[in-house]
This record gives sequence, C-alpha cells and structure tokens, in this order.
Amino acid sequence: MLSLLRSVLRNRALLRDFVVRDLKSRYVGSAMGFFWSVIFPVVNLFVYMFVFRLVLKARWGDPGSDPTYPGDGSPGETALVMLAGILAWAAFAETMSRGTNSLVENANLIKKVVFPSEILPPYLTISSIVNMLIGMPIVLFGVIVFSDRRPGLELLAVPLLLVLQAAFTIGLTYLLSALNAMVRDVYHIIGVATTVWMFATPIFYPAKMVRDSYQSLGGGFGSFMLPLGWILEINPMHWLIDSWQRVLVFQLWPQWDLVFRFVLATVLMLVVGGAVFRDNRKSFPDLL
Amino acid sequence: MSETSSAVPANASSAAAASRSGSEQAIVADGVSKCYRLYQKPMHRLLDSLHIGGPRYREFWALREVYLDVRKGATVGVIGENGAGKSTLLKLLSGVSSPTTGSVQVNGRVTSLIELGAGFHPEFSGIENIGLACSILGMLPDEIAEKTPQIVEFSELGDFIHRPVKDYSSGMYVRLGFAVATCVEPDILLVDEALSVGDEHFRGKCMRRLNEFAEGGGTTLFVSHDLGAVKQMCEHVVLVHEGRVVEQGPAERVADAYLKRVKMRGNDGLSFAARAGGDYPQWGSGEIAVESVELIGPGGQAARVFSSGEQFTVQTRYRVQGAVREPVFGVGIYRSDGTYVNGSNHEWRAQPIQLTGLEPGETGTVEMIVGSLPLLQGEYYISTFLYDHGHPTPVAIDHRERVVVFQVVDELHRQHGMVTLESDWRVRRELAGGEVCELESQS
Repeated sequence: MLSLLRSVLRNRALLRDFVVRDLKSRYVGSAMGFFWSVIFPVVNLFVYMFVFRLVLKARWGDPGSDPTYPGDGSPGETALVMLAGILAWAAFAETMSRGTNSLVENANLIKKVVFPSEILPPYLTISSIVNMLIGMPIVLFGVIVFSDRRPGLELLAVPLLLVLQAAFTIGLTYLLSALNAMVRDVYHIIGVATTVWMFATPIFYPAKMVRDSYQSLGGGFGSFMLPLGWILEINPMHWLIDSWQRVLVFQLWPQWDLVFRFVLATVLMLVVGGAVFRDNRKSFPDLL
Repeated sequence: MSETSSAVPANASSAAAASRSGSEQAIVADGVSKCYRLYQKPMHRLLDSLHIGGPRYREFWALREVYLDVRKGATVGVIGENGAGKSTLLKLLSGVSSPTTGSVQVNGRVTSLIELGAGFHPEFSGIENIGLACSILGMLPDEIAEKTPQIVEFSELGDFIHRPVKDYSSGMYVRLGFAVATCVEPDILLVDEALSVGDEHFRGKCMRRLNEFAEGGGTTLFVSHDLGAVKQMCEHVVLVHEGRVVEQGPAERVADAYLKRVKMRGNDGLSFAARAGGDYPQWGSGEIAVESVELIGPGGQAARVFSSGEQFTVQTRYRVQGAVREPVFGVGIYRSDGTYVNGSNHEWRAQPIQLTGLEPGETGTVEMIVGSLPLLQGEYYISTFLYDHGHPTPVAIDHRERVVVFQVVDELHRQHGMVTLESDWRVRRELAGGEVCELESQS
C-alpha cells in the first residue's frame, strides 16, 4: 500500500489533471453545468421520500423511542436525513461502479503509455467527493430553514468523515478494479451488488426498523422470525452514513464506536485492496 | 527455426552488454524474454492471481533471449514478419510492459509513436487534450505551457484546436497525436509504422521532424516491415523472427537476409499446383473447367514469391466438358487492396490466338509469360477469366476471383509505388560561367 501511495504522490500533478478533467467532463456540453450535482440528489430524494415516507410509512421514531436517534421524525427532518445519506451513498456507489471498470476503460493508456494506473481509483474517488461537497450545503441550508439547529463545531467532523470515506472507497476500488481486469464479470456483479447494498443500508429508513425486525416480523406470521440486526453489524456503509446523518442534520458528533469500526474497515480495505492491486499491477498492460 | 537462430546473434554476451551499459548507450536489453500466460478461462487467471490452486496457464514466449545494444544517437531498424515479436519488443523497451526475464535499461526519456492520440478525451478541445496528454507523458506544468504553442502550430489544426476532439477527422486526430508525441523532446523515440497516416504533406513533415530528431542526436528505434523505409533511415537493422533476434548488423545485409527468408518460406512446399477454387466467388456456364492455376518462377518451379524483374508465368490448366464457340482465357492481376493492375487475354493482341473446335475430353494449358515482372514490393492476387467470345457480348464459362495470391519482393528498391517504369534520366546544368554540362542515365 505504501508503494502505491508513494507513486500516487509522485504523480500528483497528473492526478490533479485527471480530477479536473473529470469534474469538467461531468458538465461539458450540458447547459445546467454544476447544478446537476444538486438536482440529481434532490430528485432522488423526492422519489425515495414518496416511496418510503408516503407509501411504506417508514417513520424515524417518536422522540425518545430510539436512544441512538436524536430526531423527532418530522417530514422536513426525514427529508434531510435521507438527503445526507443519498449524497454520501451516491458518491460512494458512483466511484465503486466507475472504479471497477477504470482499468478496462483506460486500457488504451495502460497498454500504450507508461502510465501509473494506481492513480485511477484515487482520481475517481476525489472527483466524486468534490461532487458530493457541492451538494452538501443544501443539507445545511435545509437544517437552518427546517429546524432550530444551527451548524456548529461538530462540522469539524466533516473533513474526518470525508477522508475516511475516500480512503475506504479507494481501498475497495483498488481491489475491484484489479479483479475486474482479470474477470470482467466483476463489473456486472458490482452493478447488482450496489443496489442490494444500498437498500441494506439505513438511508431511507431508520436503523431501528432493522434492529427491531426480530419483533415486528415475529408477530403476524406466528413462528416465522427473521432477525436482521446483524446486517448493521457488518455493514461499514451504515457506520459511515449514520455518522454523516448525525453530523450534517443533527449537528451532533458521530457515534465514536461506529467511527472506530469504520476506521478498522478502511484499514482492512486499504491493505487487502492495495496488496491485490500492487501484485497484479505489472501484468495490467498484458491483461487488458 | 531455432537451430539457425541460436547460431547468429552478434553481440550476445550479457557480460559485454553490462560492461557497456554506461552513458554511451541509449538502450541496453540484456537477455530479455517475454512470456505471456494464456488462460483458457478468465476465471483461471483470477484463481491463479489469488494463489488458489496450482498454475492453470499455458506459456507463450513472444520474445526469447533478446540482446540489444543501441548507442546514443543511432537510428536502429527492427524488421520482421507480422507476429515476429516486434511490437512486444517495443512495449518492453518503452517500459509499458515488463520483461519476464532479463532486464531493459533505457537512458533518457522515451516516447513512442505507438500511442498517437492515446488518452485523448473526445469531449474536450484539442488544446485541453494537449495539456492532459503532455501530463500523461510526464511533462511538468510550465513545460507544458511552453510547448503548447509549438504543438498547436505543428498540428496545423487552425481554429479546430478549440473544438472538441470528437469533431476531428481521423487525420486531424493523428496529426495532433504526432505533434504531441514529438514535441515532448524525447531522448529516445520508438516509431511503430505510425507514419502511414495523414496526407502526403503531413507525412513529409513527419519525416522531416524525425530526421531533425536524428540529426539532433536523438536515438530512434524504427519498427516496420517496409524495407525501403528501414534501409533509408537506419544504418543498423535487427531482424526478429519468431521471438528471436536472428540477425543484426548493417542495414543492407540484414534486409537482404530478411528478403531471402521471406522468399524461402513463401515458396516452401509448393511443389504441386494449387487447386483452383476456394472461398472467393466464381461463376460461369462450365463447358470448360479451369482445373488449376499455377504461378511459375524463372527456374520453372512453382512459386508464390517473386522478385521484381524476374520471369513470371501464370499457367492455367483446363479440361473441356462441352461444346463452346470461341473460348478466350484471360488473367487479371490485382494488388491486395483490390487495385486492378492489369488485365489481358490471348485474343486482344496484334497476333491473336484463336481457339476453335474444342471437343469434350480435351485438356491443355494456357500460359501468360511476363519476361520481366514490373511489379514492385507488395502482395498481389490473380483472377482468371474464361469467357466465350462467340456471342455479341462475352459469356462467362468459368470466371474465378482471386485464385492465387502472390508476393513480390524488391531487393533493389530503386523505385517506389506499384510498378517499375523503365526510364531514362537526363540532367542539363547551365553553369554560372555559361558552360553547359549534360548528365545522362539510361535504363
């Protein structure tokens, strides 16, 4: 991992050029330009609000019913909680999907030029995170409009969460892109897995509903029980998104135990992904 | 093949290569081999890379034991047939791909013209792409800013430089690519027959640029199977065959060895006539069948590779199966790209040969003999036309497209293009002193 990191740092000028090009290319030829960074998550928000809040009646509990949830469950607040989750998830999912295919997509460069392929996952990650930052002020604006909370010192957690999210994404993308260079099925698997993973992560519903699934399903259908709480225990994205929601919407510090778990997951991802990428790096020009 | 190859390599001692790897050398390849792992299924590659289970690949050695020693400022040519390993060699020397065994040492910045336009983003303008492409080639921001105007000027794109690259014609694309690749001011330039692109004007400019580069002390490695160009540009030539360097030395000698090799191989196992017919269209009423079409060289032997200026005979063997009024055999010669080079038959002549009264059961041969083959280097093919001219318009009896393919090599390489033109040259110099000096060269 360290050798990859050194190489990325050595090629930082190129990395910057790639990020700039990518940010520009998002909006080259589009009339609304950077507004899309805002419009896209907001439209998503309306769709999911409609489905989960109006149709499925997901409720972010009444005050006090969930000790880990600080809100009151009002519609405005629900919308902001969802929006914070959507922004973080969209950045993550976009990088995962593009990153998995990044080596294949840039085969032209890798096969023909001496090209540091290790900058590809970082550049995609940085680009998507910058894109996410453009959408983030809307959440804060919403908080000011819809609640009496005011952004405070807790926003200092934002850079920390950004760095962690980026590191986790980069590690995962190193792994997936290397695997995809060998077996192209990985890209298709990731397409499906992203959807499953998104709905397995409490973005559009409160984590409490999953944690309580044991009781709620145990009722109506007699002995049929389906405990699902373990999903939250193994899902790093839940730890991350829960932290984002607390920091951005409720202006609270994140739950440090979740942050700690996420740090462990990030380190693991970087070590494993970095090792797989580094071991196969030399054969990429021959593989693609 | 391997017996001949192991005997030849010139300066093949690794110790020697190592001791000379000082600053005099631009490229030193020391016993370089490249093995590709071929997997039957992608899954096998994945399992292998994760060290699950034993190796599942088949080895393919694209290059074996290559020793190469290129002096700074030299222009070295690499020739060889398709699939001989030329491109693999370039990839190893440019550092894109890493050798399986042995080592490559390169002193200086390498650019290769294999990569013309690699990494251009279609949505961005030419200018923006120049910046990024230079950055990919390892240039620093101020260097890029300094070079950009030169690149723009060389590419001759005019206002198009501000339009997205997706609007470019392929020629414009390549022009921009070439401009970028050579403005980087490399120490070593790897050229992979990229110059067959663009119009005459731009190609000339490219050649000038390459010459300037060589004269300015740059090292060039030129890969091609255009022998003429290689002979013109390089003093030293390396011949690669089936992944091995089988010959290296002065351009003339190696180029001749290469031609000999191509000829020998091409004429291998052609002792009997190729059967007519095959994958290409043929039609006709069938009263006379063309049984075989054979090409015969000066020694009376069947051949598929000829030298320019050699005797060249097309022999058609026929069998009559039904009555025909007035059959005429014709031969068409085409270049591999379909250009119609020549068509003739035995009737359209000052002294036509008339074939009448052919009876079923008769067989025979028709020969077209070209005393001195005027074709120049390249691949050509022959179609045969057997038509009945006893009708107001000729009727096809047996028309066969692309019956035989043959190659022409041109050792002398005194003319370019498709055909030799016998010509005299005359120069008349009117000297400043009023004297007149005439020079003449007759064919």
